[in-house]
Amino acid sequence: MSGAGDREAVFPTRQSLGAMKNKLKGAETGHSLLKRKSEALTKYRAEITRRIDEAKRKMGRVMQIAAFSLAEVTYAVGGDIGYQIQESAKQARFRVRTKQENVSGVFLPQFESYTTEGNNDFGLTGLGKGGQQVQRCRETYTRAVETLVELASLQTAFVTLDEVIKVVNRRVNAIEHVIIPRTENTIKYINSELDELDREEFYRLKKVKSNKQRDNNAAEQEEKASKRRGSDKENADDPGATDILGEQEDQDVIF
Amino acid sequence: MAAPPSAYKDRHFLAVIGDEDSVTGLLLAGIGHVTPPPDAQKNFLVVDAKTENSTIEQAFDNFTQKRKDIAIVLINQHIAEKIRGRVDTYTEAFPAVLEIPSKDHPYDPEKDSVLKRVRRLFGE
Amino acid sequence: MEGLFFNVNGGYIEGVVRGYRNSLLNGQNYSNLTQCETIDDVKLQLSPAYGDFLASLPPNPSTSSLANKTTDKLVAEFRYIQGQAVGTLAKFMEYLTYGYMIDNVALLITGTLHERDTRELLERCHPLGWFETMPVLCVATNIEELYNSVLIETPLAAYFKGSLSHQDLDELNIEIIRNTLYKNYLEDFYKFVTEHPELKDTPTSEVMAEVLEFEADRRAINITLNSFGTELSKQDRNKLYPSFGGLYPEGTLMLSRADDIEGVSLAVSGNHDYKSYFDSVGMSGGMGGSGPGNMSGGGGSDGKSLEDMFYQKEMEISKSAFTRQFTHAVIYAWVKLREQEIRNITWIAECIAQNQKERIGNYISVF
Repeated sequence: MSGAGDREAVFPTRQSLGAMKNKLKGAETGHSLLKRKSEALTKYRAEITRRIDEAKRKMGRVMQIAAFSLAEVTYAVGGDIGYQIQESAKQARFRVRTKQENVSGVFLPQFESYTTEGNNDFGLTGLGKGGQQVQRCRETYTRAVETLVELASLQTAFVTLDEVIKVVNRRVNAIEHVIIPRTENTIKYINSELDELDREEFYRLKKVKSNKQRDNNAAEQEEKASKRRGSDKENADDPGATDILGEQEDQDVIF
Repeated sequence: MAAPPSAYKDRHFLAVIGDEDSVTGLLLAGIGHVTPPPDAQKNFLVVDAKTENSTIEQAFDNFTQKRKDIAIVLINQHIAEKIRGRVDTYTEAFPAVLEIPSKDHPYDPEKDSVLKRVRRLFGE
Repeated sequence: MEGLFFNVNGGYIEGVVRGYRNSLLNGQNYSNLTQCETIDDVKLQLSPAYGDFLASLPPNPSTSSLANKTTDKLVAEFRYIQGQAVGTLAKFMEYLTYGYMIDNVALLITGTLHERDTRELLERCHPLGWFETMPVLCVATNIEELYNSVLIETPLAAYFKGSLSHQDLDELNIEIIRNTLYKNYLEDFYKFVTEHPELKDTPTSEVMAEVLEFEADRRAINITLNSFGTELSKQDRNKLYPSFGGLYPEGTLMLSRADDIEGVSLAVSGNHDYKSYFDSVGMSGGMGGSGPGNMSGGGGSDGKSLEDMFYQKEMEISKSAFTRQFTHAVIYAWVKLREQEIRNITWIAECIAQNQKERIGNYISVF
């Protein structure tokens, strides 16, 4: 088993087993956290998507009203002001500033519109006639652009969020399908290696023990045999070994 | 994960690519900005029947890639149609590209590149 | 007395213009137009009046092309009359075109100031303000050259001279230039109709004086109203008021001192008509937080704006001009009526194109 699966290159020691187990635990925690994050973001994205859809539709209406107010200007001024407007544009009065909003640890860009005070390139447009309509049209368009900016915020948030969700999902999948199985494999491998070692050790001990036993037995046997041989000899050599016997008998006495 | 502040910090302006009426209206709202001479650059482009597609593409690339002071690019949907390939492949967060309706061409959500992405997302 | 010899030179033209006047759209036509569902329907409704001029339009034309074609008809008819005009009438018709010329020259000045290719601008110019030497102005590359060629080549030289220098063209807002020119033009025109020996004490002088005085007042009031909140100082503003008209001199003086809408309303209170306009749009007295410039829009969709009232008044004056005989003023009146008609058509077409039917009744019809 351990050989087939993909695993990390570690020495199968008890220490690395501990490390791996920690890693597995970490990966599982991370997985559940990321999974939850991804779910939260996906939910948020669904929300944004809904709002984009809404805002896009609203934009259609708002822009139509704005275009209509331009028609009013054309009606009141009685001529085309487009060229003059294009040429007198110098400094942007309507600007945006970008900030970031933190959603579940993701920084989503947001545009915020603001108007700079003081410079008004078209203040005198339609001075002779139509000026009131021009002013009104400017206001209508300013409102329209605000809607557009809002929409742009949502859209950018959507693009960023989409990107982030992809990354998070990739991570979740990576953890789920690569890191966790791999760590598990490693643990299994280490376990099996350790078991193997255990068995080896056991066997070795057994072998040593059995060897020892065998040696002991052999020694015993030997001893027994030699003892027997000695007594036999005694018995056999009894009459002939009188001179030694004296000693033997002494020993016997001691024994 | 989050875009570095440098990616958007200096982006203050909106840019427009549109027909005369749309541009006029948006300029009236005060978004028009011309950088000081010598290289006076406008942040708007008026497209009429005679405008070449290459000019539009150039302006689009200029607004989306070269200029670092633009936060949002507004483009009339019927003009976006002309350079649909460019618009659809553009996926950066900054600047944001927004398709807007024009007077003579009402808004069609089916063609919007972002809404297309949304739809794809939900597998519709 | 004047009728004795008028017809020698002006009779034919007066007849033609009265004919033109009869082809203007009337209330019935307008109410038919407002029932239309598409621009094509509008086109169809207009075909008796405009016939060939609309024939070349594609199906469902844009409102601007519709406006262009209807203007073409006005221009064609105007040119025809101009071709027939002799003597003081020819001069009178020239005066009519000067107003448009001012707009065109202002356009060219804008173009030159921003170093655009002014040749492209020629097609944007109003055809009635076209003069032969206009392309010459496009040769000018800087503002001084332009100034000199305007002085030499255009009939507007008199209006530039004395009140505008070439530095002014550079420095002043184009709107101020335009309005200065217009003021000079109105004064000159006024002088022409009231003091020219052949026109003095004729119906022409009577009717035109009324029309021009109204125009002068309207401009003065509009300029005052529109200048609130801009960099235009009271002194400069004063320079833009024509030096005649129903409000001149007391009303104008008060206008030049006015700081807000109430001031304007006070200044015009001497004139019953204007006072009633201000009253009806709710601008006199008690004006609260509403900022300058959009006060007339406060009512927005329902009420009429001050501009609308002025247009209405202008149309009524123009209409009553046709009750007089032996006068050039009918031409002026006809041009104004026709212009209003074009605006009305554009407005109605715009409302239909943009589905804003609830505002469609905002056109001005006097017949």
